[in-house]
Amino acid sequence: MNSKSVYKIPNGKLLKISLDYDESNSTISSVKIMGDFFAYPEEAVELLENELKKIQLNKDILVKKINSVILANNIEFIGLNAEGLADGILRCLE
Amino acid sequence: MSEKWRYLITNNLSAARNMAIDRAVLVANSEGKIPPTVRFYTWSPPAISIGYFQSLSEEVDLEKCANLGVDYVRRITGGGAVFHEDELTYSIIIPESHPEIPKNIMDSYARICGAVMNGLKNLEIESSYAPINDIISGGKKISGNAQTRKLKTVLQHGTVLIDVDVEKMFSLLRVPNEKIRDKMISDVKQRVTSIKHLLDDSVSFDKAAAAMKNGFEEEFNIDLVPGSLTDYELKLTEKFEKECFGNDDWNHKR
Repeated sequence: MNSKSVYKIPNGKLLKISLDYDESNSTISSVKIMGDFFAYPEEAVELLENELKKIQLNKDILVKKINSVILANNIEFIGLNAEGLADGILRCLE
Repeated sequence: MSEKWRYLITNNLSAARNMAIDRAVLVANSEGKIPPTVRFYTWSPPAISIGYFQSLSEEVDLEKCANLGVDYVRRITGGGAVFHEDELTYSIIIPESHPEIPKNIMDSYARICGAVMNGLKNLEIESSYAPINDIISGGKKISGNAQTRKLKTVLQHGTVLIDVDVEKMFSLLRVPNEKIRDKMISDVKQRVTSIKHLLDDSVSFDKAAAAMKNGFEEEFNIDLVPGSLTDYELKLTEKFEKECFGNDDWNHKR
């Protein structure tokens, strides 16, 4: 199943998500994180997209996973954060 | 005695070439081959640049670009889509470790935007920094800015609008829904301004550049010494233009 969302991060930038997910077990097949935010280093977003594959579409699990990737790779987001990103992904299900 | 940085003017270049030069200067600076550099430039043909994380086909009407002869390119910096026509674009490339550059990214945006604000003041325009990455005057945006840090080097580039054609800009950008195009145009007209609008007079690129040059010199207490790209930078520029910014794989990668 493929779905898209557009979500303005509170006090941040416009996030656009394109999500492919497995309805049978509610996990991410692939996700594209797009928008006018900033990330340092930029390449880390591609890494984050890879790390999110097979992750459950559940807010707490997503936030925890995103934060662990941010921490492990020393990523700095500007105009985006773990909670906003999780919300943007979950909006694809609405 | 003030530190000497290099000052470059490279006018009327293609979108791919403009972005390739910024990246080439970043690489050369990271290798210690050239001093910190401030560059002012323009785009010919006019062009849309999109942020690193944006989808080209979702943000830009490529058919309209082709019809109007407007170029396009994906930047290495984040941020949003920008239509570059009647503007001064600047870039600054400097080691992350330089004492004039705050370690904190948001602080460094503010510092570099300070140079642009000095430049505007030299044109009798009062402005202020509006985080995350804008400069506003009279409550409206006059400059957008984007920074990346690679190879322990800071690259920040941004626009200073000399004039702006919001209708043309919107005819080139995709909007989520055609019904709201007019509303978006009127909203953006309320939020964007230009030197021409604020001064009620046209200002040449040369005059704007002279004002901005002084603005950077004042902010960083430096002398900007006119120079040109080195042979090494030109070689890198050609490589990046061919392999990256002039390449569909790069521009369409999202």
